Amino acid sequence: MTRAGPWVSAAIVTAALVLPGLLIAVTGGSPSAALRALIQGSLGDATAVSQTLLYAAPLLLVAVGACCSARSGVFNIGQEGQVLIGALAGAAAGLRLAVPGPALLLVVLLAAALAAGAWAWLSALMNRLRGVDIAVSTLLMTFLAQQVVAFAVTTPWLLQESRLGEAAALPQSNKLPSGALLGSLGDHPGLQLNLGLAVGVVVAMLVAVALDRTRWGFRLTVAGLNPAAARHAGIPVAAVGGIALAVSGALAGMAGAVLLASPLSTNRLQPDISIDIGWDGLLVALVARNRPLLTIPVAGLFAVLRAGGNFLAATGVPPYLVDVVKALLTLAFVAPAVMRRRSVVA
Amino acid sequence: MRLRGITKRYGAVVACDGVDLTLERGEIHGLLGENGAGKSTLMRILLGLETQDSGAIDRDGRAVTIAGPREAAALGISMVHQHFSLVDPLTVWENVALGRSGPVRRAAERAGVRAAAQRYGLAIDPDARVGTLSAGERQRVELLKCLRRDPTVLIMDEPTSVLTRSESAELFTVLRRVVAAEHRAVVLISHKLAEITTATDRVTVMRAGRVVLRRATTATTEAELAREMVGREVTLGAAVGVLPHATAPASPAASAQTALRLRGLTARPGLDDLCLTVHAGEIVGLYGAEGNGQKSLGDVLSGLTVPDAGTVEVAGASVDLRRPGALSAAGLGIVPEDRHHAGVVLDLSVAENLVMTRLGDVSGRVFIDRRRLRRRARALADEYGITAASLDSPLRDLSGGNQQRVVLARELSGRPRVLVAAQPSRGLDVGAVEDLYARLRRCASDGIAVLLISTELEEILALTTRIATIFRGRIVGELPTAQADGERLALLTGGVA
Repeated sequence: MTRAGPWVSAAIVTAALVLPGLLIAVTGGSPSAALRALIQGSLGDATAVSQTLLYAAPLLLVAVGACCSARSGVFNIGQEGQVLIGALAGAAAGLRLAVPGPALLLVVLLAAALAAGAWAWLSALMNRLRGVDIAVSTLLMTFLAQQVVAFAVTTPWLLQESRLGEAAALPQSNKLPSGALLGSLGDHPGLQLNLGLAVGVVVAMLVAVALDRTRWGFRLTVAGLNPAAARHAGIPVAAVGGIALAVSGALAGMAGAVLLASPLSTNRLQPDISIDIGWDGLLVALVARNRPLLTIPVAGLFAVLRAGGNFLAATGVPPYLVDVVKALLTLAFVAPAVMRRRSVVA
Repeated sequence: MRLRGITKRYGAVVACDGVDLTLERGEIHGLLGENGAGKSTLMRILLGLETQDSGAIDRDGRAVTIAGPREAAALGISMVHQHFSLVDPLTVWENVALGRSGPVRRAAERAGVRAAAQRYGLAIDPDARVGTLSAGERQRVELLKCLRRDPTVLIMDEPTSVLTRSESAELFTVLRRVVAAEHRAVVLISHKLAEITTATDRVTVMRAGRVVLRRATTATTEAELAREMVGREVTLGAAVGVLPHATAPASPAASAQTALRLRGLTARPGLDDLCLTVHAGEIVGLYGAEGNGQKSLGDVLSGLTVPDAGTVEVAGASVDLRRPGALSAAGLGIVPEDRHHAGVVLDLSVAENLVMTRLGDVSGRVFIDRRRLRRRARALADEYGITAASLDSPLRDLSGGNQQRVVLARELSGRPRVLVAAQPSRGLDVGAVEDLYARLRRCASDGIAVLLISTELEEILALTTRIATIFRGRIVGELPTAQADGERLALLTGGVA
């Protein structure tokens, strides 16, 4: 039974790579050209690599947060909304608070984390008070978050941009002051190493240590693996899960702030600023089997697919094929675990 | 139906040893025996869920082989299980129709259920949702489900364990009707002596895989049945090979303090105003047939459920049961009945399981000190004779006996004043059981108050100094082990007292 795992994985990974090729061939494209475009667009030159690394940062933050909640047995799937709320709070803090210079960046990141953490924790609260399923409520809160952000950027007294002369104001906020933006690390010709990635990697390492080495992480893991035994051992399972959910939301929110403050966006809050990073980050955590350190390379892989996917359209291949590859890859890593669980039940 | 010389072995254990059983049409046949006497195995063979190693089964004088549940059903053998197998969100008629092949015609099914309900006098609404029914009503649905299949032999496994007294009486009236009017054979499996003597025509008593008594019910008495069920020798304690021979039970210190006091514990379903006291240094046995509230008590004492009423006092101080871990902090260790549920975390390492409840001892304010954790786990593993390839391997890899030792080691590592052991020997092999008993005795002689919750009479008699019997969530009798004999206990646990 356990032997079958790696074989199934290998078979599905192969399928994940071969099937899209077949699809491209069937639709009249050239698989090899598509693959070249994918690699060219993500790793081909310094600009492409810069773009890939930019995508990796928010993916990583979302995924590390997802590891926390999943390890505690709480399934948070509302990262997309938490990213949006983070971006909203980050924009509000960056535009409204008069903090000088680079300290503003720190304030933006913290505001985003706090707001999105509280937002996610609402789901834990609803579960506690009314028994609302957490997976369902986090998911539905995503749609609420979309409405809240859309409202904020279309309402002049909230965050909509100030009107300049006769031009109509667009549904977006003003541009963040330069002190709130994520800069480049060091000077490299053509290559940009955005600070956001450094934030992501450091957070991933901190969370890895917290989960594996601290009392908090141990209690969280026990609560996730066996709630009854955890309760017996004096662990307040619901509270621990609530905190894990809030941490997960906070990190997704921080990803929202990173999106807002890095060159991935126009540095303005827009309704579509989250660009599906929340959903993809969740997949990264799934593929990395909830291990924070493993999310670093996996986030890199998903960033390659994203950056390369944008480039793919140039070869006449529908870019959504990239989504097919992502889905198949996720299945490849998740399916064996699910099958194992089934055979235990049977 | 006739079973002859049925023998079934599981490894070294003989579950059924040359059992003969004859079931006549038009009779209610009582099958009596303790847990593990071989009743269930026998019935599983009859239902085609197990195959006998030797022996033969006849039906109306012709030899038959029951290879699987389907053959059993074709032969008209049907069983109402102790634990209901109904689908709560479905209606009564849907549940009755469930599991039959062919198209389902709503009107016909409902009419069929109504007619059957009337014929047997089982008042039930075919359109009621099963989830809203009481235990007694569910029992009726189960019974209807079986009867609609027109069985020749109907097996009822502990049918009254969840019923009230009047519901039980009603059930027996229906069963009587079934055998008298329709010439079916009914097998009634039970622990409860009163039930057997009032409801059956003939009775077979099994003990340790053998039939020890076979008689017309009118020719026997409750006292005789009790004696046969548990065996005369049991008062000596060391009767069964499982036990380490004749170690005198620990005797409590003369002026022992009360270490554990349960006052009016009520939890629905399960516990009904349960009161019990255990003194330091004594082993008290809580004895009773399965399903009389032992599991609920275990859940309360593990901190898994908060009782509706009542208090738990450890060493004179009342424990706030709503706080997780409060019992453990107050000095109560427990070896839970289902260790995989509440006792251990299978996917964590052996070492982590050993320190789980006392994490503070191996960590600073924030970080866990892996070296200290390992050292402590090593010490506990050595002290309690836990054999594991590595303390870092997942607990899942250990044998049942070693897993149990891990639980015991961890619970005792906190130097508790009270140790509760719920069905501790279940699923362990002989050697592990012996070791467990020795440790429980040592606990008592070290001054720990031990509460042993068990359905195994031999275990209770061999280990305890005092026995309390539990019936429907209440303590119905209490006596020193020295004065206990199988007969009296069987009477008490049958709820006769």
